[in-house]
Amino acid sequence: MSSDAVKKITFRVQRFDPEKDRKPHFQEFIVPVKRGTTVLEGLLYIKENLDSSLAFRTSCRMGVCGSCGMLINEYPHLACHTQLEEFHADRLTLKPLPNMPIIKDLVPRLETLFEHHKSVKPYIIRGDNAEMEKPTAGYIQKPHELDEFLQFTYCIKCGLCIAACPTSASDLAFLGPQALGQAYRYCADSRDEGQDQRYQIVEKDHAVWNCHFAAACSEACPKGVDPALAIQLLRKGVAAKALRVKKTTAPALLATSLPQAKPKIDVPEFTVKQK
Amino acid sequence: MKNTYLQLAQMVTGALVAVLLAIHITVQQSDVVLGLLGIKVAGPTTWGSMMERAHQGSWVGIYISLLAFGLFHALNGFRNILLETNLSASAMRILTGCIIAFGVIFLILGTYAPIALFSSYR
Amino acid sequence: MADKGPHQNYLGMRGWIWAGNYKLERYLYLLHRITGLGLLLFGLFHLTATTIFRVQGQAVWASTIDFLDNPLFRVGEFLVVAAFSYHALNGLRLIIQELGFALGKPVPPIYPFTDAIRRKRAWTLVTLAAIMILAVAFFIDFSIGGWG
Repeated sequence: MSSDAVKKITFRVQRFDPEKDRKPHFQEFIVPVKRGTTVLEGLLYIKENLDSSLAFRTSCRMGVCGSCGMLINEYPHLACHTQLEEFHADRLTLKPLPNMPIIKDLVPRLETLFEHHKSVKPYIIRGDNAEMEKPTAGYIQKPHELDEFLQFTYCIKCGLCIAACPTSASDLAFLGPQALGQAYRYCADSRDEGQDQRYQIVEKDHAVWNCHFAAACSEACPKGVDPALAIQLLRKGVAAKALRVKKTTAPALLATSLPQAKPKIDVPEFTVKQK
Repeated sequence: MKNTYLQLAQMVTGALVAVLLAIHITVQQSDVVLGLLGIKVAGPTTWGSMMERAHQGSWVGIYISLLAFGLFHALNGFRNILLETNLSASAMRILTGCIIAFGVIFLILGTYAPIALFSSYR
Repeated sequence: MADKGPHQNYLGMRGWIWAGNYKLERYLYLLHRITGLGLLLFGLFHLTATTIFRVQGQAVWASTIDFLDNPLFRVGEFLVVAAFSYHALNGLRLIIQELGFALGKPVPPIYPFTDAIRRKRAWTLVTLAAIMILAVAFFIDFSIGGWG
């Protein structure tokens, strides 16, 4: 990287070591960058060349795993998904995501996020237990039924929405945009029958009615998931259920319950010669 | 579904207060609004104008419903804010009790004046 | 749940006001909360004043109105009406949108991403313009002596 570096940028990184420090402090590093360098590459440069004790999370480097969420110039970003060029600045301030405890330096503790996520039952719930335990076929879902929730399936659980949410800032028990968005994702799934169970969970205090639609979560989401929209649609369902105006639809059928379509052309039984 | 009913009530009372308070504010400015159209009326805050409204059942109804809906909307909204300040469940229960008591006291205080003035006319 | 301490990094109530460089819509929420609390305080003051002074008869009422007829209270009254205009119109928007209406349907997340509330920004700006017009009208009315 250093041979074709064209610019030097100062990384002002928040440091905190629970074994040594009473409170976080900042440390500056000069990082050589070229066109296309990401914030994560800058951090890796620091770790490899300047200070190996710097702690941050990273894994996929391509905005898929959701490990490297952090506050870059006071805005939550995925470090791997953010190029230094877009800031047009010589200095960059890096802090760990707020609204969750710090383990060390830029590493936040995501435990509460996952606990809240788990609490809304983020999986398909069906009445037929035997089929759930030992599936015999897939469920039939039409494209327009998939469109109802597809956008919300892209959540990578990076925690950026929680860092942006004003309610999560002060209310530690608040389920948060991530979990509430995922509650809607499963309630809107035509294969699911667990709406009533999830509505009871999200209807309590510190849940769906404590969102105030500041929509900072949707602004911050690096995957375009729009949790704020999911939460409002979830509220629509909860309110319709309470007012008894909710339309009930039969859950998706098993694929085995449809007559098998006859192929238009005969398909050979094997495409590779059997021994 | 307790929270859902509470929040739906918050929305309904909010919409009602928006309408009733808009009527209240417009009437309190009626001399200016009608003055623009060339109609001269006595200021709505004068004793005579105020007593005239106080003796009409419809106005008494508007004021008392504005008070009741407004108190519910404001105090429930305030409780929602407190709920987000990380207070313990027991502290929240005590505060909720205080807020309800406060609301009842202000409801009695606020309904006393229009009812007293209305019945003095009868 | 973790104890709150110096390295817990929860923004607390400070996070209601500022948590990062977010756009307009993040602050509609803050203004709604501030105007709501302001109107609650004013409402309690107004209710006490109109009840206590009104039932004491014409003379007390007239002297109260005389006492309140000064520039300080007129500006205060203007702020109350401006806060009400904002809280009422933004509140009506919230009632509609928080029940999932007027937000559109979920869309496939194709870069650059948009979100439901910012796709409606034109309406947000129209509502804010209406509030500004109401505020200016009431400012002329209350604070600089009417239209005459």
